[in-house]
Amino acid sequence: MDADQMAQDVTEGPPIGVAIVDDHPVVIDGVRTWLAGEPRLRVLATGDDPDAVLRAAPEAEVVLLDLRLHGRMAIDKLAELSAAGRRVVVYSEHTDPDTMLAALDAGAVAFLAKHEGREHCVATVLAAASDRPYVPPALAGAMVGDPRPDRPALSDKEREALLLWFQSMSKASVARRMRISEHTVKQYVDRARIKYTRAGRPAATKAALLARAIEDGLVRPEEIGIYRSQASTDRPTP
Amino acid sequence: MATDLVAAGAVADASDRAARIGAVTIALAWHLAIALPELLGAGSAPAATAVIAAAWLVAAAVGVVAGVRLLRGGLPSAWGLTAVLLVVDAVVFVAVGQPFAPANWAWGGLVWFFLLVLWRRPVGWLLAVLGAHAAIAFAALLASGAHAPADLTRYAMYVYGVSSLPVAVFVGGAALAALARNRAGTATATAAVEAERVAAEQARADRQARLGLVSGTAEEVLAALAAGDADPADPEVRRRCVLAAARLRRLIAESDDVPDPLLHELRAAADLAERNGLPIELVAVGAPPELPVEVRRRLADPVATALADARAWARLTVVAGPDEVVVSLVTPDQDGPDATGPPVGDGGAAGNGDAPVELEHERDGEIRWTQTRWRRT
Repeated sequence: MDADQMAQDVTEGPPIGVAIVDDHPVVIDGVRTWLAGEPRLRVLATGDDPDAVLRAAPEAEVVLLDLRLHGRMAIDKLAELSAAGRRVVVYSEHTDPDTMLAALDAGAVAFLAKHEGREHCVATVLAAASDRPYVPPALAGAMVGDPRPDRPALSDKEREALLLWFQSMSKASVARRMRISEHTVKQYVDRARIKYTRAGRPAATKAALLARAIEDGLVRPEEIGIYRSQASTDRPTP
Repeated sequence: MATDLVAAGAVADASDRAARIGAVTIALAWHLAIALPELLGAGSAPAATAVIAAAWLVAAAVGVVAGVRLLRGGLPSAWGLTAVLLVVDAVVFVAVGQPFAPANWAWGGLVWFFLLVLWRRPVGWLLAVLGAHAAIAFAALLASGAHAPADLTRYAMYVYGVSSLPVAVFVGGAALAALARNRAGTATATAAVEAERVAAEQARADRQARLGLVSGTAEEVLAALAAGDADPADPEVRRRCVLAAARLRRLIAESDDVPDPLLHELRAAADLAERNGLPIELVAVGAPPELPVEVRRRLADPVATALADARAWARLTVVAGPDEVVVSLVTPDQDGPDATGPPVGDGGAAGNGDAPVELEHERDGEIRWTQTRWRRT
């Protein structure tokens, strides 16, 4: 599938520390194997309790969190970690749109469906480490089908890019279909994702995503009405 | 049809209401115009006159109560009011003393009140009460010592004279109401039969339309196979079979009564593809609004057709909102030309041309992409 261009920029410096929280050892082993193939990533700690894992590896830059731990949906834990500025990538087999949007609202940097495979997993973690969005197809579907009345207002192009990305899982095909470059497709999709930083309660991770998006020129401050109050507390924009 | 029913009901109501107004008018008019002068013109003893006048007032009150009840569409309480009237009857006969005296207004006047309080009850009840009335009169006759043959004859004529007319009105009114009710019942039954006939015709037309859709593909393939013209080993023949089976399966699913028919139809197509060994992923986001069968057909048919050609894997997605539904099928692009060509013809044949469903079909060397999109217009 599509490699994430922006995430590939992060080549210098020490590897990115990743913590994996899942209550199935086989999943942990599987994800560890996936990430081991990527030299820019290193798994620091694993376990089935988020607090214990983060005590073992407080320097972890990205947390891969299984949303369902011991039979409970860990949305509250997710919100708590996100509010504290932890970059959490939710990793779940629960891919109903409501759960995905709830995870974004709670401050998850990204939502990855368990069936979405290695490329999406590595790309998502790399993007998350640099506070950049990554929207796997399942999440794109949830965003384009968001029925909530207070959902972010997406432009027609953003909606179309999300829809076609969800349908085809190939940014090259979306680009051909929309007669734009792959880079532009990614911009539309990521812009839609950034608009979701306004949904739900404020979180440090959302502010960081937004600030980085403005830095990268992905969105202009005036496109995101309330960005100042969120971003200025975290990091000043140039 | 519905208006016919209402009209028949109204006819029945109107004819019964007219009969009620007639009966109430006769009873009260008789009470005022005939019984009251009889009562006032008689020269009885003052005490007896007071009792007879009081009885007249009680009968008038009963008449008003029963009349109001009847005109408002209800029925008066038969037994209570009948008992009051029979007491009035006896009191008047006793007070007058002479059954044939002009002051005895009760003999001819009370029968109309019996008619009112027993309205719409079985005619036997009225006959029984009239019998009681005659019995009271007969007792009074014997008590007054008048039992010469002439008196008895006169008595018989009185009984016949005062009873025949009320009984005729009572029976006539009941017969009219029964007729009207029958008429209303017949109209209802006719309407039901008519509705059933229209529904059956509609169902038959639907079935024929669906059959017409299938016959183009299934019939042809089956006929060719049966005649030995088509070789089951030929991949093209197999492809046509798959296509025909997909359509049949989808058309069967189409008439199922399920909460989400579009997804049900797509799932049927996906099931079939899966059973033929194709790994297929069906992802649906959102709940489609209620769509006419025509629109569903145009949304699902091209996708089902493309699915029959899919190799290796397929991803079928549905994104639905209240105003837009997008169905898409993505499969890997294979070498060579399209086996079926873009499924435009199929979509067009299934539709009447004005259903607002767009169809896009393209291949870019990497994937084949079939998308149908409905927008609320």
